Amino acid sequence: MLQLNGVSKDFGGLRALSDVTLNVREGQIKGLIGPNGAGKTTLFNLITGVFPPSGGSITFLGEETTHQNPEKISRLGISRTFQQPHLFKSLTVWENVMMGRHYRTRAEFFACGLRLPKATREEKDIRKQSLEYLNLFGLTDKKDRVASKLPLGEQRYLEVARALATEPKLLLLDEPTSGLNDHETEQFRDLLLKIKGVGVTLLVIEHHMRFIMGLCEEIAVLNFGAKIAEGSPQEIQVSPEVITAYLGTEESID
Amino acid sequence: MESLLKDKNKLAWLLITPGVLLLPFVFGKGFYLNTMNFISLHAMVAVGLCLLVGYGGQLSISHSAFFAIGAYASAIFCLRYHLPPLISILLSQGLSALLAWGIGWVVLRLKGHYLAIATLSFTIIVEVLVKEMAWLTGGLQGLSSIPSISIGGFMIDSDYRFYFVVWPLTMLLLLFSLNLVDSRMGRIFRAIKENEDIARQFGADVKVYKIKLFIVSSVYASIAGSLYAHFVTFISPVTGSIMFAIDIIMVLAFGGFTLLWGAMIGVASLTFLNEYLTIFADFKRAIYGLALVIIILLFPNGLLLGLRDFGNRIFLFIAEGRKKHASA
Amino acid sequence: MIEVTNIDVFYGNIQVLKGVSLHVTRGEIVALIGANGAGKSTLMKATIGLLPKKSGNICLEGYPITALPCPEIIRLGIAVVPEGRRLFAPLSVLDNLNLGAYLRLTNGFKKEVQEDLQTMFQIFPRLRERSHQLAGTLSGGEQQMLAIARALMERPKVLLMDEPSIGLAPLIVKEIFEIIRRLKDEGNTFLLIEQNARMALRVSDRGYLMELGRIILNGSAESLFKEETVRKSYLGA
Repeated sequence: MLQLNGVSKDFGGLRALSDVTLNVREGQIKGLIGPNGAGKTTLFNLITGVFPPSGGSITFLGEETTHQNPEKISRLGISRTFQQPHLFKSLTVWENVMMGRHYRTRAEFFACGLRLPKATREEKDIRKQSLEYLNLFGLTDKKDRVASKLPLGEQRYLEVARALATEPKLLLLDEPTSGLNDHETEQFRDLLLKIKGVGVTLLVIEHHMRFIMGLCEEIAVLNFGAKIAEGSPQEIQVSPEVITAYLGTEESID
Repeated sequence: MESLLKDKNKLAWLLITPGVLLLPFVFGKGFYLNTMNFISLHAMVAVGLCLLVGYGGQLSISHSAFFAIGAYASAIFCLRYHLPPLISILLSQGLSALLAWGIGWVVLRLKGHYLAIATLSFTIIVEVLVKEMAWLTGGLQGLSSIPSISIGGFMIDSDYRFYFVVWPLTMLLLLFSLNLVDSRMGRIFRAIKENEDIARQFGADVKVYKIKLFIVSSVYASIAGSLYAHFVTFISPVTGSIMFAIDIIMVLAFGGFTLLWGAMIGVASLTFLNEYLTIFADFKRAIYGLALVIIILLFPNGLLLGLRDFGNRIFLFIAEGRKKHASA
Repeated sequence: MIEVTNIDVFYGNIQVLKGVSLHVTRGEIVALIGANGAGKSTLMKATIGLLPKKSGNICLEGYPITALPCPEIIRLGIAVVPEGRRLFAPLSVLDNLNLGAYLRLTNGFKKEVQEDLQTMFQIFPRLRERSHQLAGTLSGGEQQMLAIARALMERPKVLLMDEPSIGLAPLIVKEIFEIIRRLKDEGNTFLLIEQNARMALRVSDRGYLMELGRIILNGSAESLFKEETVRKSYLGA
């Protein structure tokens, strides 16, 4: 479904990613792990078109997206969440999810300003559908609150709700459990499995190892911008390269 | 209709519009109608700017220029090409929209202060061109004897008659704006104002949206300018000077940048204040300037919104005190 | 030297440290290891008074510092080499070092500070070469050395180091850790917070393994080095 072929990214003289090849298959939950600064979020930014890669190519559903802009890529069906929730803080909870419906709807200036029947109908749908997503995440009671007033856990839920409202085919989650307590993390797991159940493919960056190992069928590991391993959680846990990346080298100092 | 009643803003609109339109029947004819007509023209500009600044987050100091373009274009179509005023007004809006598209395409890639400065330069250019292209604009003398609007042979040539042209139009434009901000488009503009990058990730073609909003907002000012030309029947370089642009920003600072009604209230209050400030005549600008600085420092969202929040806080404070008192 | 007993720390309603206890004795290097998000940096921030403790005690040489504000704790002799180094980038290497001794300079120990400066240049000859260069223009490894030297200029009783190896190439990491070991031999005391468990344990005397806000294992560095639990904790097995 999503294919990265030899993707590299330089920032100035710094090589953030080098020659990463990655394949996400339709319907799977894939994990992406690696020590701090390994280039995981950079990879997400490349996939979603925040900036173009310095080399290599990216295709999504057979269409080349390497140099597409974010709005095009999101329209193709890739949505994401962020390490620190990036909600529209001044919009209400409900309006944030409505934003997710934006490119699925089309009423423009005059239709909206003149309240043409077409626009009114569409707006009604937007509200109804957004409410369904809020329901799914138990946020209905708080729909009229300003998004920035939510506690962190609910901000994460809201971010996922907003991303899902775009009806993505592929959902990218950047450290979804950071800042959640054990109970919330457990709930999040069920939620992700539910999302997978409705046919959304997931690519998840995570530091919470137990969480990711229990969630994914397949995991890729980045270190210093390069992919050092890929396989089932069991394979990853015993891979010498991965162990070295996380725990340091075996060789002694002297 | 049902949705109109549910929404506070629309309800206010439904109540206020007839009130405004009935005003001349209650108070009769008088000079106050002249003041009201200017309030209406300025409100049009302010509401347009409020859409752009308050909702779209794009600070522009070019609305006086578009007011001038609307005024001059319509006057020139009328005087030099002998087109009927209504046709001239319509053509002028087309011209303004075209210009706004071109300018917007160039300057809207800038942000914040840079955008403000770029739009300010445009305003200065327009002012200079108006003064220097005397063969077209009459230069410093301006253009006079601009024909009044006539609707089916009925001349709109008095304060009283103009009142019933300009106020319905202003209220309709306000309704259009209220509808707009409470819709898919309104949400995307607020999203863009907050974070363009994230808005893009939700499929918003930010550049195109910003230009469209700039066009709509500029045309509001341009309509007001055209109407002004045919109402006052005389225009000069003073008509769309930079001072006017600053006055309108002042209006928003007063009424609240993110409040369409605030723009209306701001225009009304400042116009009346202006009448009284005549005592200070030459110092008026200085007083304005000082007030603007103080307002922005104390209430960055605008005076009215600021006072409202301040009131809320005091109310909460008292309520909290009572609760504590009750529990103790 | 430092004794942390049973501290609980919360971010809002999330408990991030759950009854954590550890101690560092004079002249020791103690490693605090654990995967990302285990709570290591939080423990450091709590120790130097940047985060409020809900319960528990922290003592420095028997003197309770649990409720003291951060500047007070620093004055009592805990120096910090923060994650990401936090140098004064637009200032020269020399100025950065002098700022490390700021407290002593203002108290009139100018000569002592001069001597210490020379000692630093002996330990870190590369800093002498670059003493007039701006800190922001140094390489990552050199910046880390400067951060350590700056902390030493405070003549601290104990040094807390947060992820000294982060973002550095393996060879530089090795060099930094060699220096840490040498500093230990000269009588300095360290609490070393590291994700790079193997490297940290190799230079340390003892170690603690943290996971999800708890200390789940402690012992001599050698024993932890061989321990399977460490790998499992890091990789979620």
